[in-house]
Amino acid sequence: MTNTNEFINQLASKLGRATPTETPNYVASNVPQYRLSNPKERASIFLDNWQALGGKGAIVESLEDTVQCLRGWFGDLLAAWPNKPQAIIAWDLLPTVAEYAFKALEWPLVRYTQAAQTAVDRYSLAALAELGVTGADRGIALSGTLVINSHPQRGRAISLLPPRHLTFIEASKLRDNLFEVLEELASLGIPPSAIEMISGPSRTSDIEMDLSIGVHGPIEVYVVVIDD
Amino acid sequence: MTMYNPTIDQRVDEALANDFLRLATRRATDRLRNNKYKATAELGDWEKWRQAGETIRTHVVANLDFYLQQLIGQIEKQGGHVHLAKTPADAIAIVRKIVADNNSKNVIKSKSMISEEIHLNHALEEDGSTVIETDLGEYIIQIAGEPPSHIIVPAMHKTRQQVADLFEPIAGHVLSSDTPTLTRFVRLQMRERFLQGDIGITGCNFAVANTGSIVMVTNEGNGRMVSTLPRVQITLMGMERIVPSFRELDVMLNLLARSATGQRLSSYTSILTPPKRASEADGPEEFHLVILDHNRSEILGDQTFRPALNCIRCGACFNVCPVYRQIGGHAYGSVYAGPIGSVITPLLEKDWKTWGHLPYFSSLCGACSEACPVRIPLHDLLVKLRARKTLSGHTPQIEQQIFKTYRYFFTHEKILRRALRLGSRLQWPLVRNGRISGGPPPLSNWTKSRTLPKVATKSFMQMWSELNP
Repeated sequence: MTNTNEFINQLASKLGRATPTETPNYVASNVPQYRLSNPKERASIFLDNWQALGGKGAIVESLEDTVQCLRGWFGDLLAAWPNKPQAIIAWDLLPTVAEYAFKALEWPLVRYTQAAQTAVDRYSLAALAELGVTGADRGIALSGTLVINSHPQRGRAISLLPPRHLTFIEASKLRDNLFEVLEELASLGIPPSAIEMISGPSRTSDIEMDLSIGVHGPIEVYVVVIDD
Repeated sequence: MTMYNPTIDQRVDEALANDFLRLATRRATDRLRNNKYKATAELGDWEKWRQAGETIRTHVVANLDFYLQQLIGQIEKQGGHVHLAKTPADAIAIVRKIVADNNSKNVIKSKSMISEEIHLNHALEEDGSTVIETDLGEYIIQIAGEPPSHIIVPAMHKTRQQVADLFEPIAGHVLSSDTPTLTRFVRLQMRERFLQGDIGITGCNFAVANTGSIVMVTNEGNGRMVSTLPRVQITLMGMERIVPSFRELDVMLNLLARSATGQRLSSYTSILTPPKRASEADGPEEFHLVILDHNRSEILGDQTFRPALNCIRCGACFNVCPVYRQIGGHAYGSVYAGPIGSVITPLLEKDWKTWGHLPYFSSLCGACSEACPVRIPLHDLLVKLRARKTLSGHTPQIEQQIFKTYRYFFTHEKILRRALRLGSRLQWPLVRNGRISGGPPPLSNWTKSRTLPKVATKSFMQMWSELNP
């Protein structure tokens, strides 16, 4: 175990000067950024890119749209899921449209953070669930990416342990590129303990470069873009 | 260091004789390289992105003391623990102690090149812990007991049948060798491990100095598992792996994902600022960052080789290197293979005797420098390493002797003329179809795979003096 001062001083001496006391400046090089012209285009390109990664998705304009969309994706599956009351695990509070849609469908939601006392029990619940449901804080059109911040009423395992992950995101939360998202995140001050950027399903090409979907994370990923 | 065969020649010969290895390496590197071309072309002016990357990395390395100090301060402020390791042995001792203090038996790991560099797993297993590599490729080579053959695709050299054969004793039944079956087996097998893991060890692609965050990219989601589920998270980091703020992550993450696999972003990019807040349900309660020097400070103090610290470990230089593409990663014998491995291994290990061959694993064509997303002049550094090795007297006796002889003849004109005349007469046992082939060592090192022109009957010097009497 090396003393911090000693460690830093040694680097300063290798650099041949004293350690700066102020954040050193530098001139950043500009890079050409990907820009879209309007929100409609942004939503549709986000969806295209999400689907190209192997995700499913839809843009909804109303509660009816949402209900129909969820029924189409999960209606048949739900009937076959054993352990039905605990099959869907969700954030404590989902975007309003999502809350209403699940109520209208009468599909029971297990609220992750309240579902069990200990972390181990929560993980087991999430691992046994068939579908995890979350919202997202931001989305990136260029890469088809969802950006989800951790929060006491959320739970990070919901988007990770179940074999399916469904996210609701308002179209107004979509951005063109990563840079815009990072600028907004930087303005938060102390960042949340986890910012997860998710681009499509879990994948690997580790065996003979052959693409396989769903090695550790969700195998199927769904996004509902709420036109707001 | 893990090695297959003790000598370089044996390793290279073995690689060259392994048709599957060579085909697989070529196929995989072709794929990665072509994906990269597509992903970089769509960004518009890729050169501008490379320049931006170089600017950021050069700035960070030139101010590494400041940014490390800032990073350490931020992490400690958030309740994390920072450990500074001068040597691999220090780093191992630190991790061992954390594991012992927590009385942990199940260690789950996501990919970390630092853990390969310090050979961590073996030490933890000696202490009685079970250590599981959770990246599919790393898991395969862990079972096989081999080092990674590529920095991004560690089990590139294994056929699916070999993978099935490795998994079967664990599965306890016959597995078909199609990749969906193998992937599903690993998913099920690993699930229990993830849920039981009490310590998670991760790597670190970037650390953000002004927020104390760790950035990690994976495609499988194992990085998220390891940094979300266990109570304790240990992150291993090479000390140069820093960006000043979130802003620079835009350039660095674009360069990394696009150069490594040709993706716009990896499937999972996690920006973590552990430990978890008290009111949160998931995430590690305890966080340890282990920062490794291992002679990186020596490289920092060496103006010539300092740019080697700019590397972001994307593997793009592997995929274009004509040497790597022929022999794969194991022939190098080092944890880091490819052009960047040939540059940093001799510098990190400070051992010319074991690693002095690496700067010669290059045709100096410059493809690596062109591929590097942060514009490290790799081929140039390889030449400079060769010079450094030679000047420090670490070239083989025979090579030194040859160059002494060369100097002698080329500084004694008359003797040179005589020797050439003699050579043109004495060479006949070696000449076939007008070329020199075969012969005893050291000549055979050249002639075993190519021929030499024969010594001309009339030398250039003779012709010249006839033309200018």
